Amino acid sequence: MSYNLLQGKRGIVFGALNPDSIAWKVAERAHEEGATLTLTNTAVAMRMGETQKLAEKLNTIAISADATNVEDLNNLFIQSMEALGGKIDFVLHSIGMSPNVRKERHYSDLDYNYLNKTLDVSAVSFHKVLQTARKLDAINEWGSVVALSYVAAQRTFYGYNDMADAKALLESIARSFGYIYGRERRVRINTISQSPTITTAGSGVAGFNRLLDFAERMSPLGNATAEECADYCITLFSDLTRKVTMQNLFNDGGFSNMGMSLRALQQYEKGLHEDCECGPAAEEHHFD
Amino acid sequence: MSDVAAKVKAIIVDKLGVDESEVTNEASFTNDLGADSLDTVELIMEFEKEFDLAIPDDQAEKISTVGEAIAHIEEAVK
Repeated sequence: MSYNLLQGKRGIVFGALNPDSIAWKVAERAHEEGATLTLTNTAVAMRMGETQKLAEKLNTIAISADATNVEDLNNLFIQSMEALGGKIDFVLHSIGMSPNVRKERHYSDLDYNYLNKTLDVSAVSFHKVLQTARKLDAINEWGSVVALSYVAAQRTFYGYNDMADAKALLESIARSFGYIYGRERRVRINTISQSPTITTAGSGVAGFNRLLDFAERMSPLGNATAEECADYCITLFSDLTRKVTMQNLFNDGGFSNMGMSLRALQQYEKGLHEDCECGPAAEEHHFD
Repeated sequence: MSDVAAKVKAIIVDKLGVDESEVTNEASFTNDLGADSLDTVELIMEFEKEFDLAIPDDQAEKISTVGEAIAHIEEAVK
């Protein structure tokens, strides 16, 4: 259902790889809500995924840009403003990649070149997007920029690896830049901390399906889907949330404020005395 | 080893972070060298850049081992 919440607004959506991507759903929803937008992805992602197909569907263009490259970002904003006929009202940053996760490097044995890449692609790119936009004065007053995060930025989730550090940095950048951009140009900047979601990027996380199941059971409302994340993004891009900025907003069915559910407690007690992957029940477990 | 083979193997070592000794002609990118879907696309694009050629997707899909990559590129740069 459309509410015309983004009628006349212009946006840029990063990271729509394929129909599973959250960014894909956001682009579709924004279009439904009356926005015009451009899509962008790295050259490799454009080749691997279906960004071009979505662009055709939404009657727009997909611009190849490496979000870690300031020159690419500069071209992206200039080209987008040209194509859309004016300054930008909303930006979605849905970018994350960790070579350490992909190469299954344990968090206590990280490759530091990989770590730099993780941080640059998944977090510093957000700063680069914001800095580029500000220097070009590319975002309208009351514009809205959203990046996607995960609760592992704030609490430990075994297996999320160095992406936890990247997301912590991402959330911090939203606050730090949110202050500057808000003061100067009334641009708001937030992160959405989304439930685990089955996407190409998400499925790279070790034990992802078990994590998804755990979060689903632990959240009173169940996991938020990609479609529900897109809906939330639309509200943040709309004029209905003008004073929301510098926040990390949970869209997770309540998961982040749960401690222990009755069912989880009962199951935990039952399972405690059984063998598990990290050792026999009788011995001390490394990762209890 | 041909010039092409040496360059291809150097790219693979660099991109996949594997030891040179693992990069045999028979080695499969995904099964033996730990490449994921993103790696394989990155490799193809790196080959295209290095050798200044285009490898269409339907042909790229058929390249699954180091030897197949070398053979394809040697044929293409002839």
